[in-house]
Order: sequence, then C-alpha cells, then structure tokens
Amino acid sequence: MALTELIEKSSAGTMFELSGVLDKGTQQLTDRIPNSISLNAGCELFNLFVTVATHDLGSLSDFKDKLVRQGNRYIAEAALYSEKIAGFTNGFVKDGSVILTHSYSRVVMKALLHAHKRKRISVYVTEAKPRGLGLKTYETLTAAGIPCTVVLDSTVAYVMDKVDFVLVGSEAVVESGGLINATGSNQIAIIAKHANKPFYALAESFKFRRLFPLSQYDLPTHGPGVLPFPRHIPEAPPAPLINGQPLVDEFKDAMFPVSISTGSWTQKSMSAEQVALNPEVDYTKPDLISLVISDVGILTPEGVSHYLVGMFAG
Amino acid sequence: MPEGVQAIAYQRNIEVLVSKLRRRQIVGSRRAALETLLVLRQVVSKARFSNIEQLVEIIHSAGRRLVEAQPKEFSVGNTVRKVLHHIREEYRTAAKKAPEDTALSISKLVYQGQPRRRGVAPKSEMDVDLKEDDPDDPDSFARSLKPVLMEAIQDVFDELETVYDSISKSAKDHIHSDEIILTIGQSTTVESFLKAAAHYRNFTVIVAETGPSYRGHGMAQSLSEAGISTFLVPDSSIYAIMSRVSKVILGAHAIIANGGMFAVTGSLLAATAAQAHSAPVVVCAGQFKITPLWNLYQDYSALDFSDPSSVLGFEEGNLVDKVDVINPYYDYVRPDLVHAYITNDGDHPPTSIYRLIKETYNDEDIEL
Repeated sequence: MALTELIEKSSAGTMFELSGVLDKGTQQLTDRIPNSISLNAGCELFNLFVTVATHDLGSLSDFKDKLVRQGNRYIAEAALYSEKIAGFTNGFVKDGSVILTHSYSRVVMKALLHAHKRKRISVYVTEAKPRGLGLKTYETLTAAGIPCTVVLDSTVAYVMDKVDFVLVGSEAVVESGGLINATGSNQIAIIAKHANKPFYALAESFKFRRLFPLSQYDLPTHGPGVLPFPRHIPEAPPAPLINGQPLVDEFKDAMFPVSISTGSWTQKSMSAEQVALNPEVDYTKPDLISLVISDVGILTPEGVSHYLVGMFAG
Repeated sequence: MPEGVQAIAYQRNIEVLVSKLRRRQIVGSRRAALETLLVLRQVVSKARFSNIEQLVEIIHSAGRRLVEAQPKEFSVGNTVRKVLHHIREEYRTAAKKAPEDTALSISKLVYQGQPRRRGVAPKSEMDVDLKEDDPDDPDSFARSLKPVLMEAIQDVFDELETVYDSISKSAKDHIHSDEIILTIGQSTTVESFLKAAAHYRNFTVIVAETGPSYRGHGMAQSLSEAGISTFLVPDSSIYAIMSRVSKVILGAHAIIANGGMFAVTGSLLAATAAQAHSAPVVVCAGQFKITPLWNLYQDYSALDFSDPSSVLGFEEGNLVDKVDVINPYYDYVRPDLVHAYITNDGDHPPTSIYRLIKETYNDEDIEL
C-alpha cells in the first residue's frame, strides 16, 4: 500500500547517509501513518536488502546509486505483482462462483475484475464498519458489471452458506502463516471454517512480515488504548426493578453519555470516541486460512513460514 | 517443428500412446508414466533441435498431446514435467551456466525464501563444447547433448521401475507389531508396502471389498498368500470396524498441490471414518503421482467416471431407463483427512506437498 512510497523515500534517505538515516526515515514513516503494519513489512525488506547488499559494496556513492536504482526497479516490479496474483486466483474461481470478500483491498479488486472477464461471478462484500470501505468495493464492482451485494458485518454467518469461498486481502502475512487484516477478517475466517468453506488470502510478497503474534493482543497495533474498560463506572441511579423499560434507557444513557439521545433507543450509534477505542486490524490464525495466494506462488500457511525463514535467515 | 522421416516416426509413437490412453488400454498411473517415458525417450532421441528452446518446445507439444488424450491420468503430465526438469538441469550443467544470474535485487531477495530447487546430479563431467544455433552444423548441439539427456531419462526410468521397492523400504518403521490396518482397493504400492512390512512384523490387515469393482478381493487374496492375516469386509462396515483399526493405509491416484489426493472410491469414506475415530491415515504413493494442480475442480467434475454396468447391469432392464447410474472411480480426499504421505522421496505431511512440487518441477512447465 504505502510501501512503494516508502521505498522511494527511504532510498532517498540512503542518499544522505546510511542505515542510521534509513532507520530514522522508517521511524518517521511509521509515526506518520497510523496503520503501520504493512508499511513495516516493506521497511524490513528494504533494510534487509541494504544489509545483504553491503557484502559486495564497492565505493559508497556507487552503492547508494545502486540502492536507489534497485528500489525504483522494485517499485516497478511490485506494481505487477497484483496482476500475477489475479492470474493465480483465477484458477480458483469456478464459473458461477459466489464470493465473499471483506472491506476493500486493491489485490482483491484486481483479482475479482480479472476473474469477471472470464467467468460469471457474484460477490458479497461486508460493509466493514467503521470505515465502511465495503461500499467502495461495492461501487467499483457494480460499475464493472459484477452482481454485488453489501452485507452487514453481523450478517456474515447468515450469508456464509451461500458462498463458495472467501477472498480477502491483507495488511500483512506473518511468520506463523497467519493473517493481519482489517477487523472482521478473523470472524469471517472462523465462520468460514465452521461452514467448511475455503478462506483464501491474497498477499503480495512484500507484505510478508517477520512477526509471530500468538494472539490478537500481540499485534503491534495493540495497546492500552484499544478497548479499555472505563476506569470508573458512571453511577447509574439505583432505579427500582419494577420499572422495566425506563430503567434500561436510563442505564444506557449513563453508560454512553455521548450517544445521541433521541429518545428512541434504536437510533443510537456509537460515538466517534467509542469507535476510536476499537482496533483497526485483527489477526487470523493460520489454521483458519486455506491458502495464501501471493506473487511467489500459492502457499499453504506453513509455506509462508518456510518462506519467511528462508528469506530472513538464508 | 522438425520435419522429415524421423519426426514422423516419433509422431507416430505419440499417436499410438494417445489412442491407447483414450481407449483406456493403459490404466494405472505407474503404467501410464512408464509408457509416457518410453515415448519421450523416442522423441528426444529422434528429434532434431539446435538449441534448448526448440527441444523444450518439442517436448511441450508432445506432452500436451498426451495430456489432452487423458487429462485425468495425471501421471502422464507429471512425467513430462519431470523429464523437462531433468533436461533443463542437464543443459545447465553442460552449458556451465550459472544457475541464476547473481545480480542482487530486492525481488531476488524475496525469492530466497523459495524452496531450493533440487539439483539433479550431473550425469557426466565431459567437457562438451555446446554450440547453440550453429549455422554451419545445426545438429552439433543435439549431438553433444543427446547422450547426457538419454542418461537423464534413464534415471527417471529407473526411479519409476524401483518405486515400489523404495517406498517399501520404510515399511517396518510405519507398521508395528499387532497393528490392525485397514486398506481399500488394490493398490500395488500398498500391497508391496504391506508385504515388505510382513517380513519384520506380525499384523492384521482388514481389506474393504471396494465395490463396485471389488478389487479388494484380489488384494485380500494376494496378502493372505503372502502370509499376512487378512480379513475381507464389505464397504458398508468400514465405519463399524474402524474403532478396532489402528491405522488406515491408502493408495493414491494423484496427490495434488494442496495436499489433498484423488484415490479409489471408498477412500473418502475410510478417511472420514478414520477421522471420527482418530485413527491415522497414511498414504503410500510414488513421487510421480504428485501433481502441480490445486484443488481447482475438486468437485464432481474432477472425478473419473467408469462404466455403470457394474452397479446396475442390463439384466435389470426395466430399471435402466428410469434411473441415472453414476459410478465415480475416484474420491477427492481433503488434505486435513490425511496425516502423512509416504513416497519414494521420503515421508511428508500434506502441507509440504507444494514444496516437493516446487523442488521437482520447473515453474515454466506447469502449464504444458
């Protein structure tokens, strides 16, 4: 995603000095962009490349030149990766497939549009609250003439039986073979597993990330700010239990002081602050993923870990 | 494409095999693989080519013909791919080309994670001068390379010939004394595996009949002749006896990249029953059955269908036009139902099959 930009920037960084600057540049980028997971994957790759390439280093300026050139070349190549992934994915799409996808991902869009040229497909896309990126997917697909329906995030289980397979993009694929993606991917994967439907993740190889999260709370995005309980519970006036209806309303009003009090409970929605407490990404365990389709080939989740080990240790 | 008498000669060879495959005169993956190899040897020895691309193209086109003749006999395509892989390796050693250009780039770095290609041991150390596209003597390239290629093909051939022995080698490590083993159908691989184990261990084999072909009968007979205590049971009782079974050993028709496999009908039944009773499912298969194919069409259409007359014959005349009879020959067994594959290339979990494929075949040859 922001990766190409990153390499451009960090390769510019090498022009000024060397790895120190590169690290700083990485840090800056990480700070500036709220969702740093896939960004970091790119940084790691570039840093690794710099370290490995140092072995046959001639003069410093030559080396810097080379790095910039390589960086730019990689940007050019990386642009083609999604095409390649779309080609691989096409093999998994049968004529008449019903596909469920989550939120918006460029690779998935490419893959779906590619498949649309050859086969009849229809797509369910989740709304993907809070950002509602599913609607963007909906618009793009409908514009391309693919029958597409938006489903609520809470309706995934309902729709799963009608679906042939699930196709999601990724923020990053981690060393365990698991997947980091927009929140909701995990629950979709769990439901897909339960319904015995294949769950495919599409990831360019620059999204392979050297992380080994064991649970949701090991992600770099997790912190004390994510879903805390209120320090002190706002005092609800102890209302007598005999009065059923008013009690509920009053209690809720006390719990969520910011929500729009229109009188009728059904119209209330979460406030921006409440939304902000929710995580942006979640972690899907490898056993829920059928295959990771990447530009270096179609891999099982175990294959991804082999791959990452080979890449960073070999 | 090369012209002339020689070219026609090997074209005829190809045609003969194509029609044999079409008419189902060649059944069984190993047989098909062997026949394919023989034809390919003919092709390589007779073909005229002046550089490696031409040769690869010739084999590709021959392979395509054969695969189209019987797309469900996966071992044909696998053999072609394997031969191509060997040829490329030989060429690389002979031409003394660096395996990959060594210039660093980020994308190369990413590829480092890829499973290393297995180098085929070079057949000869001879210092041939490979002149590609020599305008004066277009045959010189072929002349210098052919002997090496023939040896390479012979290697593949030997591997196929000895496949049962090499799989059976590890038999005694997989079968323990007093085990009760369930198997289904008559797979030569499983048969030789069990017989090899019988030299060292005392165990009991339960063979399911495997209707409607009832090839289990032959299997049971052959095993009991070898002195193994054998029971023959109807397919319908597989689930009932599974609680007593300590291991399920199956044969395979083809193993595909995701770790699943195609195997004789009834295998899925046995594997599912084994899962319900937590009995391990072990599959014995030669490496030539490993197919670079994802479970693209795993459903119905991927299964081969055979003659329905064994299910419902014409004796039941008044029924014949009232019912549709289907007799699928293979089952697709999902990777999560299989615990291990025993191949002549070692034992592997289903999840690393894709790696074997990357190691054994060239990416360029997957699409023939």
